[in-house]
Order: sequence, then C-alpha cells, then structure tokens
Amino acid sequence: MKQQSGLLAAMRSFFKMPPQIFRLVLLAVGIVVTYSTARYFLKPPSFGLYGWYRAEALAEAGGRETVYAGRKACEECHSDESKKLAEHAHKTLSCEGCHGAAQAHADNPDIKPEKQQFSVCVRCHEANRSRPKWHKQIVVKNHYTVSNCTDCHVPHMPEEAP
Amino acid sequence: MTNQITNLLVEALPHFEGYVYPNEATRQPLWGVLIVLYPYITGLVAGAFIMASLVRVFKVKALEPVYRLSLLTAFAFLLCATLPLLCHLGHPERCLEIMMTPHLTSPMAIFGFVYAWYLMAVLLLELWFDYRQDFVQWSQHTSGFRGILYRAFTLGVIDESKEAIALDLKVGWIISIVGIPSAFLLHGYVGFIFGSIKANPWWGNALMPIIFILSAMASGIALCVFNYMTLTWIRRHSVDMRCLDAMGMCLFYALVVDASIEGLDWIQRIYGAEEGFQLLRQLATEKLFYTLNVGQALLGTAVPLLLLGTLQVLRRRIPELARKRMYFASAALILLGVLAMRWNVVIGGQLFSKSLRGFMSYKMDFAGMEGWFMGAVLLALPFIVLTVLVKLFLAERLPEGRGEPFQQEPEL
Amino acid sequence: MKSNVSRRSMIGRVGAALAGLLAAPVARTVRAAVTKGLASSGGAPGYDPTQHKWVMAIDVNRCIGCGLCVEACKKENHVPSGPYYRTWVERYVITKPDPGTDQARGETLVESPEGGIHGFGEPATTPEKIQHSFFVPRLCNLCQHSPCVQACPVGATFDAPDGAVLIDPKYCIGCGFCIQACPYGCRFLSPVTHTAEKCSLCYHRITRGLKPACVEVCPTQARVFGDLKTSAAEDPIRQFYQHNRVEALKPHLGTDPRVFYAGIDKEVR
Repeated sequence: MKQQSGLLAAMRSFFKMPPQIFRLVLLAVGIVVTYSTARYFLKPPSFGLYGWYRAEALAEAGGRETVYAGRKACEECHSDESKKLAEHAHKTLSCEGCHGAAQAHADNPDIKPEKQQFSVCVRCHEANRSRPKWHKQIVVKNHYTVSNCTDCHVPHMPEEAP
Repeated sequence: MTNQITNLLVEALPHFEGYVYPNEATRQPLWGVLIVLYPYITGLVAGAFIMASLVRVFKVKALEPVYRLSLLTAFAFLLCATLPLLCHLGHPERCLEIMMTPHLTSPMAIFGFVYAWYLMAVLLLELWFDYRQDFVQWSQHTSGFRGILYRAFTLGVIDESKEAIALDLKVGWIISIVGIPSAFLLHGYVGFIFGSIKANPWWGNALMPIIFILSAMASGIALCVFNYMTLTWIRRHSVDMRCLDAMGMCLFYALVVDASIEGLDWIQRIYGAEEGFQLLRQLATEKLFYTLNVGQALLGTAVPLLLLGTLQVLRRRIPELARKRMYFASAALILLGVLAMRWNVVIGGQLFSKSLRGFMSYKMDFAGMEGWFMGAVLLALPFIVLTVLVKLFLAERLPEGRGEPFQQEPEL
Repeated sequence: MKSNVSRRSMIGRVGAALAGLLAAPVARTVRAAVTKGLASSGGAPGYDPTQHKWVMAIDVNRCIGCGLCVEACKKENHVPSGPYYRTWVERYVITKPDPGTDQARGETLVESPEGGIHGFGEPATTPEKIQHSFFVPRLCNLCQHSPCVQACPVGATFDAPDGAVLIDPKYCIGCGFCIQACPYGCRFLSPVTHTAEKCSLCYHRITRGLKPACVEVCPTQARVFGDLKTSAAEDPIRQFYQHNRVEALKPHLGTDPRVFYAGIDKEVR
C-alpha cells in the first residue's frame, strides 16, 4: 500500500478525517480560494458606490456627445430671431424642430443646419381628426394652392404677413 | 409577378395583428429556441437525478439497474446545460459577471451558484463516492489514457477498507438527500424566472416554478426509460422487466401529479378570467393550437396517461413485448410533450404584446444562433456526451434489480 | 476605577468613530473620483447626481402627434434604425358604439406606425364613427420599484440617484431579462451593441443643464421635464402637477411609475 506523503498524513491525522473526506475538503478550499481571488480581480473597482452597479457608468452615460444643441445655444448667435419669435405663437417652438439638429452647426458655423421646406409646416399643421381642436390645422389640398407656405406666412412671426 | 413579390414580402416581413408595442415588432422573439432548450435540459437533469435518488434514498431496489445510468444521464445533460445560455447571450464573454457581481434580487443571478453547487457538491460528489472503488480497481488494471483517467479520478485515495466503503455508502446517501432539494432548486429557479415576470400574464404566476419542477420530473424519468431501453437494445441485452415496470409506475405517478397541477393552472386562469384572459385564450386556442392542444396536452399528456394507466391496471394481462413498446412510446411522447410545454411557455409568452392588444408571429430560421439546426445540435450533444460516459464508466452488464418495486428489503 | 463593561463599550465606541473617520475620506475620494470622471469623460463638471431628481410628465391634451420627439430621440441617441424605439407615440381612436346597441363605446383602435416618427395620417375610421382620438407619447416610466432593475442578474441596469433608470452598456451581458420584465415595452435589445437599451432621459444632456432631446423639440410642450429637487412653483413641472389630475400606467403591477399622464383614457394601457 502506497504511503501518503508525510505532510498530508500529518495534516490528515491532525484533522482526524477519513482520506476521501480530507481530499475533498482540500479541493473545496481550493475552489473557494480561486473564486475569492477571481472576484477580487474581476469585480470592477467602482462597483457598489451608489448601488449594485458600476458607478463609472454614470460618468460614461453623461459623457456622450450631443446632436441637438438646444434653444439657448441658438440664441447665443441668433438673438434677433428669438426676439421676433418671442411675441408670437411659435415662441415655444424649438429651432431645431424645423431647422434640424444643430450641434454640429453650433460647434462650427460653417456647417449649415438643414433648412426645411414645405414639409416642415405641414407636419404639424396638416388637419388630422386625432389632433386637439385648439391646434391650428389646415386641409392642405384645399388650402390656397401656392408653392410655399412662406409665400403667405412668416414662420417666425406666424400672425404677420410677409 | 406582383403577387409573387407581395407573397415574398409578406413571408419576409414580421406579422402582427392588432397593436403591438413598436419595440415588440421584431423579426424574431427575444428568447428563442435556446431559451426553450435550457429549461428542458436542466429539467431532464433534475428528473434523472430524482430517479437515481429513488434507489439510494427511497431504497427502491427494483431500480438498481438504472441507478448509474440515471446519474450519468444527469451528468451528461448538466455538462451541456450552459451551452444554450452562452449561445444566447449578447455578450457571452461577460458571462462571469453573473458570478462576480450577482444581483441578488434577480432569480437569474443565482444561476452561477446553483449550477456550480449542483454540479460539484451534488452530482460530481455522488458520482465520485459511488465510483470510487471502481476507479481504484480500474486504475490498477487499465493502461494507457483510460488508466491515467481512472487514476486521476481516484484523487489519490486508494483506501478500500470496509470502513472506507461503508463511509462511501453513507456519504453517498447524505448527498442524495441533499441532492433532492438541490435538484428542485436547479430547475425551480428557472420556473421562477418566468413566474416572477409580472409584466407577462402568461408567465407571471405562483404555479410556474411548481409546474416546471413537476414536468421536469416526468421528463427526467421518461428520459431514463428511453435511455435504458435504447442502451439494452444497442447492447443486445434483455430488459429487466421488474426495473422497467418500476420505472413505468414512477413515470405514471409523476405524470399524474404534473397533469393535475397544470390542469389546476388552467382552471384557475379560466375561472378568474383576469385582464388579458381573452387574449390568452386566443393564444391557446389559435396561435398555439398544435403545440399546446395537440402536442403538449393530447400527445404529451393524455395518451401517455392512458398507456401508462392501462399498464398499471392491467400489467399482468399484457404480454412483455407489448409492455415494452407501450413504455417506450409513453416515454418518447412525454419527452416530446414536455419539450412542447417549454416551447409553449417560452415562445407562447412572446407571441402576444404586453399592451394586451395584439399578437406577433414568428417564423423560425433554419440557420443562425436561434435556428432549427442549432437547436437540434444542442439537443443531440448531451446524448453524444452520454455515449462517451457510458463507454468509459458503465459496466457491460447492468446490476440486477431485486424484490418487488417499493418493497423494503430487510437490511443484512 | 472604571468597570470592565464601560471600558469595553468605550473602546467599542472609539473604534467605531475611528472606523467612520477613516471610511469617510475613502468614500469621499471615490465619490470625488466619480464626479471628476463625469467631467473628464465630457460630462458636466461638478455634477452631483444626489442633488437632482429628474422627472418627465406627459400632457396628452397638448400632443399633436407630429413625431418630432421620436425623430429627435433616434438622432440624439443614435438609436438603430428598425423596430427600436427609446420613445414612441401611440394614437388611440375610440369609436362610437353601433347604433341600437346598449354599449357606451365601440371598439378602440391603437396604432403606432414606425413609432410615429413620420407623424400620423388620417385615422382609418370614418369621421362620423370617431368618439375620441388622441396621441399618447410613451417612454420609460421611471418606476420607483423598477421590475427591470430587479430583474438584472449582474447589475447592468440601475436606478441612478437622480431619478433616471440607466443601462451600463459595458457591463450588460445581453440576456434580455430586463426587456421581458418591463411592463411598458420601453426596452429593446440593440442589434448593434447586443446589449439592452432604453430611454436614458438623455442623461448626457440633463447633466449639462440641457433638456432631453424629445422635450427640446416638442412644439406644444406636451412633454414636461424638470428637477423635483430644485424646481420652483412657477416651473412647468410643478405647474403640471398643480393643474392636472393625472394617471400612471399599469398601477396594478406595483411598479409605482413616476411619469404621470394628464388627459389619457381608460383604454391606454
């Protein structure tokens, strides 16, 4: 019968365990140690600061680039337009709703935002029975058949005539 | 020409009826055939283990021939259980996160630990204690790669004294006892994953984990019957009818309990008729007609109940060959029926919108991660693994069953 | 001479105080690192998430179904094209009951063509049959008991301290459990990143003092956005709560949504 190594035999006799159990206990301890070590290295450092998640994710979510600049950014350079808008019904509108996303333009004025055509006005003002009654709507094909809305309307001052 | 193009488009575009949320209007369901297979495979593991524990814990001596086969079946299927999940994840390379930062409010988070516990602390340990003496014997008589394998598996312990063997039996018994609730946890948590989703009325109810566990037991026992009969047929041995009759009895009662609780679920839903009931009724009677009414209920439950019930009542009057055929047919039908049940739960729950106003239709791809081919491969793989295990670890002659089923043998 | 008990409790208290003193700078350092991280990755310098509580409210009486919000969201957040929407608009058409029947209403038809991104055409129902018709913008409901956060197995989606419910795309494993758990259908699996994605309240905008893109472009102020921690009584969000009786969606599920809707109908689920 093969002799077990001196150290193992000594440990075994110290713990007074049958050989099968002893080997399995060693194996179990090894697994737990491996798991704990792995966890120490693999758990992200900022995990758990605010809750069960990587707190860095907040920073990462906040760091993306914007595509729409926001009304305030437009007003920095185009304050005259917003003064015109301020007295009329379209004062609550966003510039970018009609003129397109403008962060690129705000960063580099040489890049022009898309200038919208007829389709922009129709998008909101086309008559639709699902739209609330307080909203001004026209049945486009029955409305004065001119090529552009701007022939009769001023978008920034909708109550005025051109 | 236009008709053909339109037909092609209609085939290719996703089909919806009524109103579905825009995010639900995808071509394929979020959880596809891979998520159907995972509960199926873990269910087979749990059920096969229960079959094995019937021998060790409940001392049903008649089932002795299938003890090791059941354990090896459970082991083979458990080894393959994680594959469908890994294939399904959007980022399988991040799979360790589930063990490093498990979010304890999520039933899915316990997967890593329950799986590891069941694999190591239950199944591998029970196998080891049962096979330990054999490993010692085989390692002394076999050479080559197999010899090295057996020597490694002894873990260096070659004690064959009477105390050691008695200890092996005692510890094996304890592990089997611990293994029964562990098996329920291994599969029950999967049922709870679906049962906990209150957003989905098809899934979110308290009976879901129970139904999963019970159908798992039926499917696992059916798998053992199937494997046993296939193995004896391949090896050209005769089937131990006492063992087969005992297995058939277990299978029958497992199926009865399973069918009762599933029936209770149905009665509860129909009677309560909560919000969304009309939608679910349409789901069950129209969209899931073949998989639910024909596949799961008729072929998977009613026909096997009839066959097995007949066998229970009229066993002595039915000739052996007919009995073998009836057991095999029942087992095969139950296996298919439980697979259909997993399909109906997983896919069925994604066939209607959470707005409760519409249905989606999906056509299963052949190729791709969630296609027929992948499903077939993942289903075949455990059987291939089992073949290897049987070759390495199962004796040519299976042990004899003794005594009548469920009769306690006096301890010698 | 002090008794043993009081000396032990004294040591215990001093020890606890010391531990607290030692831990506090550590916690402060980590918090400072996160705040700095927000700035260094392009976020707002000095933004402290614990000092804000963002919320959105929807005034359905004001929505005209133009779909500018859906378009702006897709562009701002680079949402993949296809059936993937962080926000969308639904149209409800409630018809009159058939003449001679004893019903209060006819059937309800709901639609959201491509999420409403190009607006809506006229409803298919003939005008005389329409009893009510309105648009409902939909988004993450900012639940206080988010089932999605509860369901995530790894901690990749979470309730941020300032009210947004965010996803960590670097940590998400793409299991889809959160998407199944959300009762409002506001999550999807991105075919590009293979992670879950949802409305983030335009976190990169609100932390810099901007409004979410959908709120920015809405021409009728149907979407109301504000900070419940710092808003004054005249601010739109406070005015909204003051002047409107509201509903939350699917209250029976216990998710306790913070997004309130004014002017919807029982048919909105």
